[in-house]
Amino acid sequence: MGEGIKKITDLEWEVPVGFTPGMRVPGRFFLSELLRKSLEPGAIQQLANVATMPGIVKYALAMPDIHWGYGFPIGGVAAFDISTGVISPGGVGFDINCGVRLLATPLSVQDLKNRRELVERLYQAVPTGVGAKADLRLSGRELEEMMLAGSRWAVEHGYGIPGDIARCEEQGAMKGVDTAGVSQKARQRGFPQSGTLGSGNHFLEIQEVKEIYDPKAASIFGISQGQITVMIHCGSRGLGHQVCTDHLRVLESATKKYGIQLPDRQLACAPVTSPEGKAYFGGMAAAANYAWANRQMITDTTRKVLAELYGIAYEEMPLVYDVAHNVAKMEVHTVDGKEMQVCVHRKGATRAFGPGSPDLPSEFAETGQPVIIPGSMGTPSFLLCGTAVAMEKTFGSTCHGAGRVTSRTQAKKDVRGKDIRDQLAREGIIVRAPSEASIAEEAPQVYKPSEEVVRVVDALGISRLVAKLVPLGVIKG
Amino acid sequence: MSYEVLDHTADVKFRVRGRTLPEAFAEAARAVCETMAPNCMPEGIVRRIEVESEDTESLLADFLSEILFLSDAESIAFCSFEVEIRGNRLAALCRGEEFRREKHGGGAEIKGISYSGLSIYREGEIYVLDIIVDV
Repeated sequence: MGEGIKKITDLEWEVPVGFTPGMRVPGRFFLSELLRKSLEPGAIQQLANVATMPGIVKYALAMPDIHWGYGFPIGGVAAFDISTGVISPGGVGFDINCGVRLLATPLSVQDLKNRRELVERLYQAVPTGVGAKADLRLSGRELEEMMLAGSRWAVEHGYGIPGDIARCEEQGAMKGVDTAGVSQKARQRGFPQSGTLGSGNHFLEIQEVKEIYDPKAASIFGISQGQITVMIHCGSRGLGHQVCTDHLRVLESATKKYGIQLPDRQLACAPVTSPEGKAYFGGMAAAANYAWANRQMITDTTRKVLAELYGIAYEEMPLVYDVAHNVAKMEVHTVDGKEMQVCVHRKGATRAFGPGSPDLPSEFAETGQPVIIPGSMGTPSFLLCGTAVAMEKTFGSTCHGAGRVTSRTQAKKDVRGKDIRDQLAREGIIVRAPSEASIAEEAPQVYKPSEEVVRVVDALGISRLVAKLVPLGVIKG
Repeated sequence: MSYEVLDHTADVKFRVRGRTLPEAFAEAARAVCETMAPNCMPEGIVRRIEVESEDTESLLADFLSEILFLSDAESIAFCSFEVEIRGNRLAALCRGEEFRREKHGGGAEIKGISYSGLSIYREGEIYVLDIIVDV
């Protein structure tokens, strides 16, 4: 696969201007030979489509976990000049600030004797799957405050410790929120869902730190060999989905109003500086903050379960970091030697800011930011760090996960949920999910190997490996 | 009336057929709802949806988005739809029951209806809708 793209280096490929009419810049893929074999024609076309959008700077970029999505490909990154470029919900996705966080614990694998009970208790405590609601009922004012303050709102309301805030991308709250961009419909969906995991590929995983590649960075991140960690993957739930849906409708009209030609309606967009563009950004930022508060509340539930079961203190489980992987941000990057304000879209891609970046807390000044890359169910996850190379090559971005290779339909034909559950149990991994089908859909073999994806980003230098985390127990949405 | 689920790497793609456009729209709604909340019976709950859009494709996306909203916001499992279409306006009666995890759980949450890959065409007398949804 991969017709129409040309090799630039061993790990870089290009889809040239002209592949699709109207391309303003080339598309760049970061792939090994192995990963190129699973590159779908649909994903190449989608990256070429992104390259047609007004104000795009340098390249439309594809991380090694790229696959065919809607609008942007999953694993797509694009920066648009703030003054001449556009903003698009199709470059963020329906699940605004879907993201992942990593929690450290003082436990080691020997401490987890009653692992099945731990998984069961977490499954009961964290609302999971379609239709799950939280016990908490937010008031209108609380929801408003949550959308403004994100993680800080949650911490101030007793769902965390002050140290958690600095350990989130954007300190857990994007600036530029305009809650007027969040409709009543979106709010109605948001009230009962704060603190819920959702379904699909969202999960909560108990892991063991199996290997350390960079002892110094690991020590700064608070990670050591044999340690038990918890990874939480979820997003902005129905509130975020509705914000995307509502603004997509507005931006569809705006695309015509501003005379923008697009090859795919899902790329509907408006100038960053236009009223429609600003309204989307304000609503998206509000939904992003809701997602950070959501992950913070799940963190609180998780800490309480672990504290009760293992007699450890809540404060002994610090947050390592929290990253967003579906978001658009206003950032300053150096382009051809000059500083430039750009709106960076990351859709299924992770920010990977390098050492010395002013947006990072001082404790990460030397290492760059922690980058958390979840594996698929039953496969290793990785902790990496951001680099100067990412700042030069990818607007400070890297991959976000393993990347699917097999459709959900095919997965259900190929494997049975029960067999996967049994196979993982034999490997010592306990899985709890609402249905067998949801296990089959997320079976390890339907994803690209996470090892290969992180090997490529490490070899490219757009992030650097710090530690490998292997699963012991998974709660699936 | 029928629908099939086609291969799509990350998301879910439906191909829906109906003898008329309203029938195809109703079947598309059933495809979406069965994916999210299986085993539903049209018992007790009825909701009316009205949408007006720029064109037929948007009408389909807006109609299905409205169903996603109602299902989520009001915790309803829908499964039966009567659709009327006049120009770019649609009215639908949607029937279902209260969502219960023990009966309807285990489905896949649909996050949104995508314009990528959304198309409406004819195969002879039959209306065909292709829809990609984000799960």
